[in-house]
Amino acid sequence: MIRLENVSKVYKGSVVALRDISTDIQKEEFVFLVGSSGSGKSTFIKMLLKEEEPSEGTIYVAGKDIGQLPRWRVPYLRRNIGCVFQDFKLLANKSVRENVAFALEVIGRPKHIINQRVPAIIELVGLTEKLNSLPHELSGGEQQRVCIARAMVNRPPILLADEPTGNLDPSTSADIMNLLERLNESGTTVLIATHDHAVVDRSRKRVIELDGGKLVRDQVRGVYGIG
Amino acid sequence: MALRVNYFVDETVSNLRRNVLLTLAAVSTVSISLLLLGVVMVGGEVLTKMVSSWEGKVELNVFLRDEATPEEVAAIKTQTTGMPEVEEVFFESKEQAFEEYKRMFKDSPAITENVDPNALPASYRIKLKDPNQAEPVASRLQGQPGVDEVQFGGEAMKRLLKFTGVVRTILVIAIVLTLGAAVLLIANTIRLGIYARRKEIGIMKLVGATNWFIRVPFIFEGTVQAALGALVASALIYAGKVFGLDRMQDAILFLPLTVSSGSIIRMFFTLLLIGIVIGVFGSTLALRRFLEV
Ligand SMILES: Nc1ncnc2c1ncn2[C@@H]1O[C@H](COP(=O)(O)OP(=O)(O)O)[C@@H](O)[C@H]1O
Ligand SMILES: [Mg+2]
Repeated sequence: MIRLENVSKVYKGSVVALRDISTDIQKEEFVFLVGSSGSGKSTFIKMLLKEEEPSEGTIYVAGKDIGQLPRWRVPYLRRNIGCVFQDFKLLANKSVRENVAFALEVIGRPKHIINQRVPAIIELVGLTEKLNSLPHELSGGEQQRVCIARAMVNRPPILLADEPTGNLDPSTSADIMNLLERLNESGTTVLIATHDHAVVDRSRKRVIELDGGKLVRDQVRGVYGIG
Repeated sequence: MALRVNYFVDETVSNLRRNVLLTLAAVSTVSISLLLLGVVMVGGEVLTKMVSSWEGKVELNVFLRDEATPEEVAAIKTQTTGMPEVEEVFFESKEQAFEEYKRMFKDSPAITENVDPNALPASYRIKLKDPNQAEPVASRLQGQPGVDEVQFGGEAMKRLLKFTGVVRTILVIAIVLTLGAAVLLIANTIRLGIYARRKEIGIMKLVGATNWFIRVPFIFEGTVQAALGALVASALIYAGKVFGLDRMQDAILFLPLTVSSGSIIRMFFTLLLIGIVIGVFGSTLALRRFLEV
């Protein structure tokens, strides 16, 4: 589903963010991308979305070399990848329902599809009660659920999450991880960048570890680290 | 497609309403910019009309000798009408000249009584296409058989023409400057509006909206704001005409200070077009930075 071949990323100013990374993530896998702050996790995710270009190497998403993708096709790549972030990125002046519907409206989905999918995905993340609430009326965990609903409402085969529990307390984090695991069980390939030990150790999933931009570990049923 | 148009219209209306303050700021900026431009355009029209009416009064007077033969008189007529610079040629006989003279001084019969009807010369009055050509045309006619004297405004007219030329140049510069100021002001307002919604644009990019889908609501909004701005500016200028110019015209009859309602309507459409063009280009340019990712 996602394959990197000898990928390096050097930002201008000669900051080396990733060095010669090769890895392969299968369809319907659940993978943690771990490493301390500055180890290159966000850069990894941004390159999958084509927000950043690799300096060297090739990236395949769903079998296609995304380096060959023309600019005008990039939006269509992104429609296949749901994204969740530490800071939620919700629109403050739109309700829960409107925030989720927005993701379908702006890719031109017809109203009847929106009216059918939005309540369904909001129910799946357990927020039916808060349908008309504004983001500031929600807890951090609830906001992250809205964010996940928005990422999944277009039913992408891939879900990327960059520090999804970074702003949440441990028990809320566990709830969010349960939700992500459920999405994975229903067929979504999930990649989570995190430096949250508890979350990783609890799940016992595949762990890819970065250190200073190098891939230093790839373990099938991993924990966060030895230390 | 119908559904998309629905989305764009909904989005435009709700954005304009949600950001009432921003919309107000944008519309007033557009209004002020276009008002400035409109005032210069209307002022330019009034001035141009005034200037051309002065220039239109510039004539050459070719006075004929009393002893000129009919052949000589006819030859001057043929020569002048044949000149490319000449618009029209009128003949004024001695009798017509005397009638005109009497009309001018009809309130002081003492002056006309003592004048011999034959004392005034016959003349050709020549209207030129371009008043600046008066001097060369005059010097060509001077000394022709049958011509006594050629009169044109001379120094005074040269000064008038220089003045009107300066007025025209200043007008062009003023229009260019106000247009430039309008472009900058409106572009800046657009940039502020887009900056205020950069988060929204970021999310749209992230979930895979195409650049056109992101652009269209901004262009719709820019168009609505431009239209409102042009309307406000034109209304203010119309008020200025009714309460300012028209009253001044009543007081100063000898200057053509009028602007027709028709030319205000024409100006409204010009301002509308300028506003929309600036809006569309401005938002496309300002969005470029946010659409790159
Ligand atoms: N846009 C950028 N320009 C220059 N350097 C960057 C940029 N983004 C990230 N970096 C650098 O790249 C390295 C990896 O950053 P990042 O991928 O954000 O790591 P992580 O997400 O693991 O904390 C860091 O040294 C960071 O300073
Ligand atoms: Mg990061």
